[in-house]
Amino acid sequence: MNTFDLIRVCVAAPLIAVFGLASAQEAAADDAEIKHGEYLAIASDCGACHTAPGGKPLAGGLPIESPLGTIYSTNITPSQQYGIGRYSLQQFSEALRRGIRADGAHLYPAMPYASYAVFTDEDVEALYAYFTKAVPAIDQPPAKTTSLPFPYNLRFSMAFWNALFLDAKPFTPDPSRATEWNRGKYLVDGPAHCGECHTPRGFFMQQDRSRQFAGAVLGSWHAPNITPDANAGIGAMGTDELFRYLKFGKVAGKAQAGGEMGLAVQLSFSKLSDDDLKAIVAYVRSVPPIGDAETKAKFAQGQPFTEVAKFRGIGATSSSEALPGGAAQLFAANCASCHGIGAGGSRDNYFPSLFHNSALATGAGRNLAATILFGIDRSTADGLAFMPGFGGKATDIAAFTNEQVVELANYLLEHYGNAAYSITPQMVEQVRIGQAPKPLLATLVDVGKWLACALAISLVLWWIVRRSSRTLV
Amino acid sequence: MVSKMGADVVIAGTGIVGCLIAEQMLDAGLSVLMLEAGPRIDRGRIIENYRNMPPAAKAANPDGPFPPKPWALHPMEYTGDPDKDYLITSGPDAKAYQQAYVRYVGGATWHWAGTLWRLTPEDMMLNAKFGVGRDWPFDYSALEPYYTRAEYAIGAAGPSDPALQWPPMRSKPYMMEAFPFGSGQRRCVQAAESIGLQYIPCAQARNNKLAYQGRPPCSGNNNCMPACPIAAKYDAYSALLRIEAKGGVVVPNAVVYRVETDDKNNVQAFHFYDPNKTSTRVTGKTFVLACNGIETPKILLLSKNEKIPKGIANSSDQVGRNMMDTPKFFALAKFKDPIWSGLGPVQTGAIMSTSQGDFRSRYAGGQISLINFSGAGSAGLAALKQKLVGKALDEAIRRETACTGLIAVEHEVLPSAENRLTLSDKKDMLGLNQPAVYYDVGDYVRKGADLHTFPITRKFAEALGAEKVIRIPGFEASQHIMGGTIMGKDAKTSVVDTDCRAHDHPNLFLPGGSAMPSAGSGNSTLTMAALGVKAADAIANQTTRG
Repeated sequence: MNTFDLIRVCVAAPLIAVFGLASAQEAAADDAEIKHGEYLAIASDCGACHTAPGGKPLAGGLPIESPLGTIYSTNITPSQQYGIGRYSLQQFSEALRRGIRADGAHLYPAMPYASYAVFTDEDVEALYAYFTKAVPAIDQPPAKTTSLPFPYNLRFSMAFWNALFLDAKPFTPDPSRATEWNRGKYLVDGPAHCGECHTPRGFFMQQDRSRQFAGAVLGSWHAPNITPDANAGIGAMGTDELFRYLKFGKVAGKAQAGGEMGLAVQLSFSKLSDDDLKAIVAYVRSVPPIGDAETKAKFAQGQPFTEVAKFRGIGATSSSEALPGGAAQLFAANCASCHGIGAGGSRDNYFPSLFHNSALATGAGRNLAATILFGIDRSTADGLAFMPGFGGKATDIAAFTNEQVVELANYLLEHYGNAAYSITPQMVEQVRIGQAPKPLLATLVDVGKWLACALAISLVLWWIVRRSSRTLV
Repeated sequence: MVSKMGADVVIAGTGIVGCLIAEQMLDAGLSVLMLEAGPRIDRGRIIENYRNMPPAAKAANPDGPFPPKPWALHPMEYTGDPDKDYLITSGPDAKAYQQAYVRYVGGATWHWAGTLWRLTPEDMMLNAKFGVGRDWPFDYSALEPYYTRAEYAIGAAGPSDPALQWPPMRSKPYMMEAFPFGSGQRRCVQAAESIGLQYIPCAQARNNKLAYQGRPPCSGNNNCMPACPIAAKYDAYSALLRIEAKGGVVVPNAVVYRVETDDKNNVQAFHFYDPNKTSTRVTGKTFVLACNGIETPKILLLSKNEKIPKGIANSSDQVGRNMMDTPKFFALAKFKDPIWSGLGPVQTGAIMSTSQGDFRSRYAGGQISLINFSGAGSAGLAALKQKLVGKALDEAIRRETACTGLIAVEHEVLPSAENRLTLSDKKDMLGLNQPAVYYDVGDYVRKGADLHTFPITRKFAEALGAEKVIRIPGFEASQHIMGGTIMGKDAKTSVVDTDCRAHDHPNLFLPGGSAMPSAGSGNSTLTMAALGVKAADAIANQTTRG
C-alpha cells in the first residue's frame, strides 16, 4: 500500500461509514414512507378501479360506466411504457390532485382528483414512493382504453370544468376542531373520496356542495344519504354501529354494504386502522343533516310477514314454471331458504333480516333490484358475506326477467321495506346494464349534437341551393 | 316434417357428464348443442314442489319434486306394478334396481347427495387381485388426473389430512376443507374407533365457507336431496348459464330416439322428437350420449335397424348387460341417549375400510355410514300416528328424532351378463319402448352383507349406544347406475374403449357410469365425471383434428 492508497483509505473509511449509516437510515425512512404510501393507497381504494376482474394488480382495464360512456381505468404500476414509471413526483402530483397527465392531457373526473386535491404534499410524496418503488411494474397495456363519443372525447374541455369546480386545496386542519375530527375530514374528503358517490351532482356533473352526502345514483346502485339526518340519513345508527359497518360491511338489523360499497369495505375501509375508522365516523356524524320527506328511519321500515299458508300445498307439485302463489311464492322459492320464511334472517344474523334493512328503504328500491340481480360478495375479517346473483349472468344461479325482479322486489318493498316505493321494469333494466338516469348535461349534449348536425346539413343544403340558383342565373 | 340442427359436438343429456364435456368443448372453441329429453324447470319451482309434498311422500323417493313430462318419463315411487312403473324391473332383487333419476335439464345431480368418493386402486382390479368381476383397462394412476380435474371442475370439499382421505393417493389437495362433523357424526368417529375402525369424512361437491363459480357456501338446509335450494351443492343445472354464456345451445324437451350411422359405422345424426312427435335430425362431427346408465343403453337398443339388428354399438352384445349399482341395506338403530343426526350434508362420513380386503375373492365389501338426514320428518309421522298432541307430540318428535339412526350399508356388486337392461313391450306417449331390467345382486353381495358388513354394522351401532338394531330385509337401490355400456380393451367383450368411445363407431362417445367395469362401494358420480373429463379430452382432440 503506498501513501496515496493509505490516504484514500483514511479518508474513505469514515466516509463509507458515514454514508453507510446515512443510507441505512434513509432506507428505514424510505420503508416507513413506502408503508405510509401503501396505507394511503388502500385508504384511497386505488386498486378497486385500477385492477380489472382477474387482472394484474393496478394494471388497469376495469370498465367504469359513466353517463357519458364507458371509461376504462389505466395502468398505474411503475411500468415505463404502459404505466406511470416515467412520472416525476411533480407529474404524479399533477395527475393525482389536478387531473393532468404527464403528457398534459386531462383525466376524466372518474378519477376522483377533485377529492384527492386535498392530499397534503407529504402524503403525495408517500404515495409516489409507494407506487414507484414498491408496486410491481406490469408491462402491459390495459385490455381496453377509454374512447368516449364526441364531444366528451375532447379532453381539453375538462380544463374549463377544472377552472369551475376544482377548488379544493391541500388540507389544513381546523384548529378549532379536535384532532380526530380533522383526521376524519381529511380522510373523508380526500383518500376515501366519499362525496364522489354520496354527494349528488350538479348540472356539469360537479359535486353539489349544498347537498353534500345527501345520496346519489351511480351506475346500478344508489349511494345513500350518509348525513346524520335521523330518517333519510344515518342518524339512527350509533357511533359503534357506523364503525362496524365500515370495518365489516354490516350492522345487523340495519344495513349491509353491497355493490361498490361492499367492495370499498372489502378493499379499503376494513383495512384501515380502528382510529382512522373512528375519525371517519366522528366527522361524518358532524356534517349538516339533510332530510327528505321520509318521516320514518330507513332502518325501522317493515316487519315480519308471511303468506306461506296461502299457497303451501296448493298446486302441489308441478313441472310447469309458473308458481301459483305469485310474488309471495317467488320469495319463498328463491329467498326464504336463507332469509327465512318471515324474512327475519338467520338467528346469528349471517343472513340479514329483510325488514329493518336499509337496502329496502333507500334509493327508491334501486339497491334491492341491484342486489337481486347481482347478489353480494364481500369478504372482511368477519368472513364471507355472499348472496348469489339472480340476473342470468354466467356465474348467477338464476335468470330472472325484469318483470320477475319487479314482482319480487315490489312484494318485498311492500311488506318488508319502504311501502311507498314501487319499481318498474325500466328501472330494473337500467340497473341491469349499470346505467344511472341520464343527467341533463348528457341529454342536452345529445340534443345539441343533433341540432349541430341539423344545422350543418341545413348549411350545406343552403349552399348547394345557392350555387345551383347562381348557375341557373 | 323433419327439421334440422347441427353443431361440432352434439350431446344428448344435460347432467353432470354432459355439462362437463360441453364446457370443455366450448373452451376448446367448438360449437356445442345439448339435447335434453325433459323440461327446463327453475330451481325455485323444484324447491316449492318439495315443500308442497306431504311428509310421507318426501321420505319415499327423491324424484317426488320432479313430476315427469309424459314424453320424458322417469321412475317415480315404486309400485311393483309394471303398468304403473316406468322402469320395469324383475328378478330376485327387482326392487333394488328401482333407480331414481331425473329427465329434466340438469339431470340426476338435482337430487344427488353430492358425495365424491373415488374408487381405490384395488376397486379397479378385482379380477387380477381377487379373481372376481372385471378389471379396468387402466389403473388408478391413469384415472387419478381426471378425478382431480373433475373435482376442481365441480368444486370439492374434503379432508387435507391424508389419513382421512379415500384413497390418499392424490395429485392435488381438495379445493376446500372438509365439512365439520355434527354431533351424530362425531359420535360415529368415536364408536368406530372403539371397534378398531375409522369413520372418515366424505368429500363433498358442496361449497364449504367459500363461494365457487357464483354458487354460495352451504348454509345447512340439509335437504341436499332432493335439491339444494341455494345451489351450494354442485348440480349440473348450475352450469347451464355458464355454458350458454360461452355459446352452448341447450334444447329442452328433445327426446333422442335414434342414432343414425353410415356405411362406415360413423354416426351421422341424432334424431329427436319434440312433445308433438315432430322429428328433428341433428348433425355434427362428434356425438355424445351422456344420458346415464339406463337411458344411454335404451337409446342404443332403440336405434337398431336391419343392418344393425342388435342395436348401435352392440356388436359385443354387451349393451344393457352388467347392470350394476351399490346395493344397500338399512339398519335401524334405537339409541339410549340422543345422537342427533341431521347437522350437515346428508352423507357426511363413512367407514370405508370395510370395503377393502382379501375377503373380496369370496364376498363383497361395503361402506357403513350413519345417514345424516334429519329424522324429524319420520319422527313426526310416527308421533302423529300415535295420535299425540301438544307437549306430548313435541316430546315424542324430539325423542324420536334424537334417538333414532339409520345406518346405510352399500356394497360393491359384480358385473354379470344376466343383470340386463332390455326394451320392454310397454311404450311411452312417443311410442318409444320403456326400459326393463332383470336384477339379482348375487350371492357375492348377499354373503358380503350376511357374513361381513352386517356383523360389523351391529357392533358399530352398539358402540354408538344402540339398544336395538334392526336390519331391514332385502336390498335397496342406491341410484348409482353403472355397467350398461361396459368399458374394455377387447371389442368382443366390451362396448367402449378407454376413452368411452364406442368400439363400433369412432365418433360416438358413451361416457359416464355405464362404462364402469367395476362398481366399488361408494357413490359413482365422481368416477362418472372423471370418465367424462377423460372422454372430453379425446372428443376435443378428434373433433378439432376433423
